[in-house]
Amino acid sequence: MSKELLKIRNFSKTFGDLTVLKDISFSVKEGEVVSIIGPSGSGKTTLLRCAALLENVEKVDLAYEDLAVCKNGVYAAKNVLKEAKNYFGFVFQNFNLFPHYSVRENVTLAPLLVQKRNKEEVEKEFFILLEKMGLSGKENAYPCELSGGQQQRVAIARALATKPRILFFDEPTSALDPELTQEILKVIRDLAEEKMTMVIVTHEITFARNVSDRIIFMADGYIVEEGRAAQLVDHPQNERTKEFLAFISREN
Amino acid sequence: MDYASMLTELLKGLLVSVEIFFLTLLFALPLGLLIAFGRMSKNCIVSNIFRVYISIMRGTPLMLQLLVCFFGPYYLFRIPLTDPYRFIAVIIAFSLNYAAYFAEIYRSGIQSIPVGQYEAAGVLGLTPLQTFFRIIFPQVAKRVIPPVTNEVITLVKDTSLAFSIAVMEMFTMAKQIASAHTTMIPFVAAGAFYYIFNFLVAFCMERLEKRLDYYR
Ligand SMILES: Nc1ncnc2c1ncn2[C@@H]1O[C@H](COP(=O)(O)OP(=O)(O)OP(=O)(O)O)[C@@H](O)[C@H]1O
Ligand SMILES: [Mg+2]
Repeated sequence: MSKELLKIRNFSKTFGDLTVLKDISFSVKEGEVVSIIGPSGSGKTTLLRCAALLENVEKVDLAYEDLAVCKNGVYAAKNVLKEAKNYFGFVFQNFNLFPHYSVRENVTLAPLLVQKRNKEEVEKEFFILLEKMGLSGKENAYPCELSGGQQQRVAIARALATKPRILFFDEPTSALDPELTQEILKVIRDLAEEKMTMVIVTHEITFARNVSDRIIFMADGYIVEEGRAAQLVDHPQNERTKEFLAFISREN
Repeated sequence: MDYASMLTELLKGLLVSVEIFFLTLLFALPLGLLIAFGRMSKNCIVSNIFRVYISIMRGTPLMLQLLVCFFGPYYLFRIPLTDPYRFIAVIIAFSLNYAAYFAEIYRSGIQSIPVGQYEAAGVLGLTPLQTFFRIIFPQVAKRVIPPVTNEVITLVKDTSLAFSIAVMEMFTMAKQIASAHTTMIPFVAAGAFYYIFNFLVAFCMERLEKRLDYYR
């Protein structure tokens, strides 16, 4: 059995009076692709952001492999948090590329500045990544000169450049036109084939069904149902899941 | 008095004006950043102190601040006024005043950067300091160039306020020559110099803006 890369237990999160996540527990194994689906406002983004340390939590046990990041809401020391940041990469819905940096600078910034790796090695890997993302020849372009799909692929390259063990995607295609959506989904599919561990929040149910090992359905801050991807999509057990999937297929 | 010596006198004054201009920028631009940080501090005592500071600096005449700076040490502590202190007082008053204006410009620039930029830097593991200097500040610099240009052009003209404590800058010179020889010419010439000075300033700022035009 492969090891658990991410472990979250007893996870609750409130914004003011609003409880957004209620006692969520889940874990991700190495090489696993997990999709999180659910209606708008169900807390998917918040869950991902908390795991990526972008949001503080009141009560949770959060660990990356053997690295305990947070125990019952008490965060570990700064150096541990810094180490934890090496574990994951994060791909945002609206890319969040650095507009004043070229593609090359966007992607190599963290390996050089944060990880202080050898420049030649980083550059070499950069060109390999660029080719993998179908962006060869774009190394000196600035984000504003790229299409949305290209920008998102740069963002994925940037997240991969630090060699994370696990990659988080928050609706990586919802800021994109349908045609551009496909190119991003293809990149993610390729990564899945390489056994990259990923957690993907998405509204693309068909994609989630095909690419992921496991799907988590969230509603109102709870994990309502989770299971093998095809199983959950084709034979949902819970009423809410059925409702949501029916709603989605009506939409399309 | 012939035109040549009149011009020499004026140019000497211009040199002092230019000195005031550059020294003020040298101190006020970085100081403004510190004040902007103070103003944005999460500690509400600190942020209120800077809020009051900025409000006083912007709410009272620069000439008054200049006089307070120059005569203050004497009136308050009986420290004798020396001649070199005139110039120093000008630099202090101008820097403190302009830093307040720059601070507000920086603050609005910093607050206009989307949080996504901080978050992207954060998940990549950049420290807050690295995030500020590598990611945020370069973008702020681009955004604040137009409002900073406005202030800088005002500064060129404001250097003439130094005449109120008899610093020998261009306007003081022009006024002296004009009253000694009952002629308008020094004023006209000084006006032309101020205009050319500002023209150059605007030109340089525009060049700078163009250079940062490679991204949006
Ligand atoms: N910073 C915040 N302050 C207050 N409330 C917030 C904040 N962020 C999220 N929320 C609330 O938390 C709830 C869950 O939000 P979240 O963004 O996690 O939902 P989501 O499942 O990602 O939805 P969507 O599919 O629309 O992206 C929402 O009701 C939202 O209004
Ligand atoms: Mg969301």
